[in-house]
Amino acid sequence: MSQRFLFALMLIASCTFLLFIYILPPNPLQKFIFAILCLLFDLIAFSTKLYMDFLVPMLKMRGRTIVVDDEEAFVLAPSGEAITVRKGGDIFASAFVKIPSYRSGTEMTPEEKVEFAKLFGRALTITNRPVRFGAQLYVINKDKYIGNIRDKLNEVEERYQRATMNKDISKGEAERIRGEVTMWHNLLDNVNKVKSHALDAFAMITEQGNTEEEAVTLVTQQANELVAGLSSIFGIAANVVVGEDILRYIEPDYMIPVVTETEQLRGKIAEEGV
Amino acid sequence: MDEQTTLYIGSTSFIAILIILNSGSFGDFWLIAVALSMAVILVIFLINYADYVLFPIFTIVTGIKISPARNYYIPRTANAVVKYTNGLYYATGYLSANVYNYVFSAESIDTSEDAKLGEAPDKWERIVMNANFPFRFNFVSVTEDVQTYREELEGIRGTYEFRLAKEEQAATPSELTMEDLRRKMSVVDARLSRLGAGERPVNSIMYIESTAVGVSEKEAMDALNNQLNNLRTLFGLFDLSINRIIGREVYHLFSFNYSLPEQETLTTIFSTQR
Repeated sequence: MSQRFLFALMLIASCTFLLFIYILPPNPLQKFIFAILCLLFDLIAFSTKLYMDFLVPMLKMRGRTIVVDDEEAFVLAPSGEAITVRKGGDIFASAFVKIPSYRSGTEMTPEEKVEFAKLFGRALTITNRPVRFGAQLYVINKDKYIGNIRDKLNEVEERYQRATMNKDISKGEAERIRGEVTMWHNLLDNVNKVKSHALDAFAMITEQGNTEEEAVTLVTQQANELVAGLSSIFGIAANVVVGEDILRYIEPDYMIPVVTETEQLRGKIAEEGV
Repeated sequence: MDEQTTLYIGSTSFIAILIILNSGSFGDFWLIAVALSMAVILVIFLINYADYVLFPIFTIVTGIKISPARNYYIPRTANAVVKYTNGLYYATGYLSANVYNYVFSAESIDTSEDAKLGEAPDKWERIVMNANFPFRFNFVSVTEDVQTYREELEGIRGTYEFRLAKEEQAATPSELTMEDLRRKMSVVDARLSRLGAGERPVNSIMYIESTAVGVSEKEAMDALNNQLNNLRTLFGLFDLSINRIIGREVYHLFSFNYSLPEQETLTTIFSTQR
């Protein structure tokens, strides 16, 4: 249901009650009730201007939660080049373009800095579609790295346990395995101490289509145009982000990876405990 | 005020005024009817001009949460979006970052603007170095149609010319008014000449988002508040007007992560920031 349609509908309802007030025989209570209804619909009509997204879900409220959408926020397209979102009958596809830049302000002359800043002005007008340019500082994903260290630690600890029970293994060999356990423990603790960050610049573009395939095809075309434009303006190799890497730009648990964060929290708690 | 807003406020307020005019027919209830009608008019204006105040008051008083997608919710304070996953709470908050236009008064690029542009890369790097937490700087841009914008500017210039001619022919012309009109005309002229030089008009929205993580909602929200306060200080290096975004706009900024709306919708959603 479009916002303008709902506004018109509510306004008509309000006007109908207003008409009742004017044409009904003089019964003050009846007229007063109609006046309240008229004002209520009048207020709802105006609210559609800004609160359209919440009005209909509000009617289907569960407890004290307005559920605007109970589906996943997006779906990753099968090609992995875009994400799709369904809003009512419309399907929107969004693609992300990574803008790698390896230049730093510290190695530029004042003139180069001005030129570099002006390039952004040119980049904004590559396309006449709405584009979101972003620069994000995110926590480097050490989940796999931490996982590997933990696996190694478990393996070495098990080996050490076996060694302590096995009388055939020499004392020196057992000591060596114990040293290995300490090493992996230290490595895991050190990972917890520092949170490493990385900076990424990206552009996002959206296209609407009647079907998911259409929307994805359209947005991929637009993204490729953006890639060409950004690459020529900045002299870099921009590229369309594919697959799981997209999630880093949209999902908070990929911006701050779970295992990396949990390890950090564990380290913090252990430190506080000590 | 744009045409749509004028229509919405005009029609809905008019209905409330008609009820006030007919209050005599409500008998003993006339005072309540007048008070309610005036309250409705007040709320309409509040929604239009200060919904960022009204919306959180409504959600806090009623204790309503909004769930924009599965696993996400906007708490009743309406100042963040929280995701609960893997036993952790991820709170994301937003800051508006509106740029003061350096060239508004004279609408001509002077040397100081170049100097400010030259400082931008260094300032940005200083922010990134000092921010020890994840954040994202977003710039949503939409280029306007050059011809439409030119016609709009020429129309505005014509109006100023007519008012200036009228003022000059007045019996007692006001020098102050004429000077103001001449200044406004020079601003429009400068914009027209910039269009002639090949610049394209761009509408933009800038905002900063940051995500904090915690084992409870409160911990995540507290960390988020700290991060956003830090960002306000860090981005103080730029001439930006930085404010915490609360209320309805939080939902819209959250949805920008997945799909960007059309230009018309963008300007309606953020009409107060335009």
